[in-house]
Amino acid sequence: MKKGIKYNFDEREPRRPFTVPEGYFENLTGRIMASLPEQESVWSTTITVTPWMRIRPYLYAAAAFMGIFFCIKAAVGITSSENAQMADIQETTIYSDEYIDSFLETAMIDDYTLYSSLVETVY
Amino acid sequence: MMAYDEQRILEMLHEDEVSRHRAFECIVRNFSEQLYWQIRHMVLSHDDANDILQNTFMKAWINLDSFMGYSKISTWIYRIAINETLSFLNRQKSTVPLDTGSDDELSIADQLESDPYFDGDLTERQLQEAIATLPDKQRMVFNMKYFNEMKYEEISEVLGTSVGALKASFHIAVRKIEEYFNNID
Repeated sequence: MKKGIKYNFDEREPRRPFTVPEGYFENLTGRIMASLPEQESVWSTTITVTPWMRIRPYLYAAAAFMGIFFCIKAAVGITSSENAQMADIQETTIYSDEYIDSFLETAMIDDYTLYSSLVETVY
Repeated sequence: MMAYDEQRILEMLHEDEVSRHRAFECIVRNFSEQLYWQIRHMVLSHDDANDILQNTFMKAWINLDSFMGYSKISTWIYRIAINETLSFLNRQKSTVPLDTGSDDELSIADQLESDPYFDGDLTERQLQEAIATLPDKQRMVFNMKYFNEMKYEEISEVLGTSVGALKASFHIAVRKIEEYFNNID
């Protein structure tokens, strides 16, 4: 350590040059404890479990299940009706390719009669 | 008055309201004075140290349920105090005007001279001035070691820094303070 400096750590004892107001530490614990907020709900509040609280999770689960069920049902319903329409279209298409050709070859009918006949066949 | 028994206190912290309150009171009684001095050496003013100490215990109380007992109570509470102190110092730095060349500004030595709760001589005021030039964490290490006479192992536990790094930090701080005194006049 250097010599001739104004603050020599080897020679000076560490001394706390601060003071506190009189009686500060005597009352400190009490003051700190008095300033703490209430904390009952965090730790020790006893909760009374009512029958409603007990069945509530099951009701929520049932409601969620029903919701999912109806959603799926609605989605399946839409798909079914779409499929049905597709089936109709496919049915109509089958008739229109082959049936019309053979019909035109064998039957001496005008366009209006042909159209009427096709409509009746489809339905 | 209940004696400080760490294991018993940890158990009581998880019991009913009355037990928890008594356990916390025991913690406050056991650590408040040493924490006060740790904070006071950092912020210098008694009023500021008192406010930070109150906030420290307030935060500890509010977050009591998050303390799982993995570390010692002293380590946990010291860390809260250190964080509170560093936050205070950062806030203070951000509110102090950057123009430090003003003649109206008092040096730390001058402020301490007018502080009724400072009874040091000129050299001790200059020592505080020299300590104030250190970076916050280095200042904390210096105060813990020099004034509070904590062991490096204890400081290491609280600050989460290796003993080797703490020793280096302390010796650098001592050298800086000596240089500060060399440059006075």
